[in-house]
Amino acid sequence: MLLAFGNFTADPSVNLQLLIGGLALGAIYAVVALGFVLVYKSTDVLNLAHGEFLMLGAYFALTFLISENLNFFLGVFVLLLVMLVFGLVVHYGIMRRMVGQGFFAIVLITLGIATIIRALLLIFYGPTERARLDLLPQGSFEVGGATVRHVDLVIFGVVALCVLLFFLFFKYTRLGLHMRAVADDIEAAAAMGIDPDKVYAMTWAAAMVMAGVGGLLFGHVTGAIDRSIEAIGLRAFPAAVVGGLTSLGGSIVGGLVVGVIEQFANGHLGTKWREPVAFSVMFVVLLVRPTGLWGRKDLERV
Amino acid sequence: MSGGGLDLRIQDLTVVYGGVTALDNVNITVPSGGFVSVLGANGAGKTTLVRSITSLLYLHKGRVRRGSIVLGGESILGKKSPDIVSAGVAQVPEGRKLFPNLTVKENLLCGAASRSDVSGIDESLEQTLELFSQLRPLLSQTAGLLSGGEQQMVAVGRALMSQPTLLICDELSLGLAPKIVHRLFELLTEINETRGTSILVIEQNASLALQHANDAYVLELGRVLMEGSATELKGNPMVQELYLGGGGEAHTSYAAIERPSRSRPLEHGQRPPVTES
Repeated sequence: MLLAFGNFTADPSVNLQLLIGGLALGAIYAVVALGFVLVYKSTDVLNLAHGEFLMLGAYFALTFLISENLNFFLGVFVLLLVMLVFGLVVHYGIMRRMVGQGFFAIVLITLGIATIIRALLLIFYGPTERARLDLLPQGSFEVGGATVRHVDLVIFGVVALCVLLFFLFFKYTRLGLHMRAVADDIEAAAAMGIDPDKVYAMTWAAAMVMAGVGGLLFGHVTGAIDRSIEAIGLRAFPAAVVGGLTSLGGSIVGGLVVGVIEQFANGHLGTKWREPVAFSVMFVVLLVRPTGLWGRKDLERV
Repeated sequence: MSGGGLDLRIQDLTVVYGGVTALDNVNITVPSGGFVSVLGANGAGKTTLVRSITSLLYLHKGRVRRGSIVLGGESILGKKSPDIVSAGVAQVPEGRKLFPNLTVKENLLCGAASRSDVSGIDESLEQTLELFSQLRPLLSQTAGLLSGGEQQMVAVGRALMSQPTLLICDELSLGLAPKIVHRLFELLTEINETRGTSILVIEQNASLALQHANDAYVLELGRVLMEGSATELKGNPMVQELYLGGGGEAHTSYAAIERPSRSRPLEHGQRPPVTES
């Protein structure tokens, strides 16, 4: 063979380790994808600033949980509250004015928001990288020759809980129903007395809170907290697309699938193949099923 | 049940989209408990009228240039759409506009978005299902997959879920079999008579609209061309020729016909359409 593709190995413990690492990475992708899906599903906006939202969450976690040294639960509460307020600021300060504008203009606005967040974090936190968070359990145990970190299990549990909460929220609460109605047809929703403005505000607040959770979790597994962690937004993008941008469950499956594929590419082909393989999977899924695996087209019988 | 009690008075209403005038000095009154039809061809300004009353013009970059819309003595012009629904105005939008991915039940519940009385909402749902009994087995169906007639029933039921004092129906008949349209109009009359709900229908199907309404208006190119009792307009030769005459469903274009003299002079003069400079 002319091309040397790293070391293929059939060693089961190596493959198990890659699987576990992939699922852990996939859980992080799922959190990020969930943020994409929330906003896209409800407001039709592809929010390219979500990686920056998450970075904001990670830095705020540093401030409240490390620098201010608040009690863990109080610190998390304050973190999520601050994120919620930032979500409202994004809506009432910026996105509200963009309602009714073209899709492309709105996507560009989110890129602008991303730039502003990066700049503000640089101004207030400086360019120095910070040590990653260490508040979640740090131990690990062995299964079949592979190491499982406690922190990954915690991340798994939190992600599953978030998905369950969102599912119940959309299915069984009035606000959740109104959010789905606005997503289906904003004018009809307004005609029924639903205030789209309020629904959008809640959506951005919820997405920011999710980014707070994501930042807190990712802050535990990233190499260090610095300006580069916003890249998680772009890296999780294939996960959101593979799952279908409108499906909460899809974002989870998409996250796990892409995470595992990336880890196997990483282990068997080498690190440089990780992202090309992930994006190739995205392309293939888009070619075969343009709405993603679980995304749905609007049902309309004419 | 919600009674009547609120009359709708639209006075001197002029609405523009950018530089284009869609409504020009329109005066329409829906008396409390009344059944009023507004007739007109495509582009007459019928849907603009609905958007003006329900404050949805902003979604189409339209605005009210002058005039007033008063519901029960209180101006509703400039209020937000949720407040107008709360004030008692519900609508069945043109083209039904159901939430296609939501179930029938969820669609109906969205109609009650302006209400905070949870037990009252369940009661209204029950009443709506009594009125449209064939929707009962479809409650958990996805609304986008229903037939056109079923969808229109959901749309009317959804509007009733807010317990309106005024129900506005925009092109109820569009794309539906005549039998279903008849049935829907009979239901509207029933709602009007038993609940005292005022009804405003915006229609191209003039014969049905005139058959069920007390009063009617003919809108053309953004202006009220004729108004009177439904019986009066039914007997009007021009209305007969344009909207009821031999052509039946296939109306001749209004502009293509030479107009006979008007049965009744316009009350607000005949200015040329206003365009913005």
